[in-house]
Amino acid sequence: MKKVTLTIKYIILILLSLIFLFPIIYMLANSVMSSAEISSAYNTAKEGYMTFKLIPNEFTLEQFYDVFFKAPDFLNMFWNSVISTLPTVIGQVAVSSLAAFAFGKLNFPGRDKIFFFYMVLLILPIQVTLVPNYILLRDMNLLNNFLAIILPGTFSAFGICLLRQSIRYIPYETIEAAFVEGASHIRVFFKIILPQIKGSLITLIILVFIDNWNIIEQPLIYFTDTQKFPLSLGLSLLGDGSNGIVFACSVLFMIPALIVYFLGQKHFSSPFARN
Amino acid sequence: MRMSVSAKNKLWGYLFILPSAVGIFIFYIIPFVMSLYYSLVTYGKFSGLNNYFELLGNSYFLLALKNTVLFTAIAIPLLLVTSFAIALFLNSFDKIASFFQSTLLIPMLIPTASVLFVWQIFLDENGIINNILNALNLSQINFYDSGFSMVVIILIFVWKNCGFCVILFTAGLSNMSKSVIESARLEGASSFKVVTKIIVPMMSPTTFFVFLMAIINSFKIFREIFLLFGDYPNENVYFLQNFINNNFYNLNYSQLSAASVILTIIIVAVLLVTFRIERKSNYLE
Repeated sequence: MKKVTLTIKYIILILLSLIFLFPIIYMLANSVMSSAEISSAYNTAKEGYMTFKLIPNEFTLEQFYDVFFKAPDFLNMFWNSVISTLPTVIGQVAVSSLAAFAFGKLNFPGRDKIFFFYMVLLILPIQVTLVPNYILLRDMNLLNNFLAIILPGTFSAFGICLLRQSIRYIPYETIEAAFVEGASHIRVFFKIILPQIKGSLITLIILVFIDNWNIIEQPLIYFTDTQKFPLSLGLSLLGDGSNGIVFACSVLFMIPALIVYFLGQKHFSSPFARN
Repeated sequence: MRMSVSAKNKLWGYLFILPSAVGIFIFYIIPFVMSLYYSLVTYGKFSGLNNYFELLGNSYFLLALKNTVLFTAIAIPLLLVTSFAIALFLNSFDKIASFFQSTLLIPMLIPTASVLFVWQIFLDENGIINNILNALNLSQINFYDSGFSMVVIILIFVWKNCGFCVILFTAGLSNMSKSVIESARLEGASSFKVVTKIIVPMMSPTTFFVFLMAIINSFKIFREIFLLFGDYPNENVYFLQNFINNNFYNLNYSQLSAASVILTIIIVAVLLVTFRIERKSNYLE
């Protein structure tokens, strides 16, 4: 009886995984098909209905070759994504860890009120400040400039809330002891706090990277120059139907996000996990 | 002069939040105050709450508000329940291969723009789902312009955000002391009782955090709506974010700002209620 339950549980587990993995499998499979094969499966003008196509007739890297040598826009947009994402990640992690230390472990008047205010900011959707931010960035001459994405992103309250939670799990005694021994706040921050919250820092890096890699709202409003579009916004412009490179583009676009995750996966954790 | 530790702490506290405070002031507070100002002004003249009244009479705004509330009221509870159930399910295994943990996060990891083509192939009016329906002699579904648009968006939202919530819940479950649960079981509590009377209450700090994350991510559903349905989605999935974006294209700053302020008020109200309910949680202590 126990064995039967376990088998059923494993079947459910596998089904769940399939639901989560299905689109990625489908994309990968389609990315190694030839343009002709893609076209015959999805070109409704010719065939009426699209057909389910998971197994390639022949394995070919034709699509990837075409992306690299015939679609210069793709590489340009890919670079735009990189240049607007990486600085945001670095900036947000630096600014957030400093503030999270103060909110999590230092006592100063008004601390909890300020933090509540940050929490409200955290939840407000980007659209709330879109227009005034647009005007502000216009006056700062930053429209069509990657700084229009990087600067507001750096000061997002998200990282602070996430890191504060795990900093609070560090016992007070550890920090007190360091202060008693005469360590400065800066030393405590670098030598005690940062190493202890390594897991949460990596989690934050992954989440911020993914969020910004996937950015739509800001470039849609702040960028009028399509040459500046990141891939998240521009990908759908590249694949106008018949040319069968969209799957290769999609796969290439998701690879950096997957790499960042798998590099940090070991440390990916909930801010509620105690070490 | 030597400062006491606590005076020193104060100074350092302010110093450590300084970079973020400056940035937040420039990129969040100034814009918000500007919004407030614009919402009270029409063509450079003070107009009181006029913009708000106009907005509340605007049928597109009301439609957007209705859809946003409907989406939030269905998608967030559905997400919480689904991910909590999966977390309980995973927790019932002695050991879960880390492979399964990573598959859970895949939907969140793949960018919306990448996975979009797969959705389109399935949802198109000549897509795979309609192909199957046709083969079965059933009537076709127009996913791009019917009530099914909302269903699609809700399912994509749950599919995408489920994994991260499961990870948060699993961490919360593993923090929980096993002895409390075991002693309850020994005293004859049913599994249902254990879940509702012990596990759920003890999970409240985690649930609170998951709820916050769910709300934050619920606004990002705009990405899916925009990529799937374009600038002007059908009336079933026309959300506040679409209303704001479209007014932006029309340069209607006043209405737009008023909409932003109303949205903010709603969110702050929801937040305050949640904090009140969640007082026992130590999240804000």
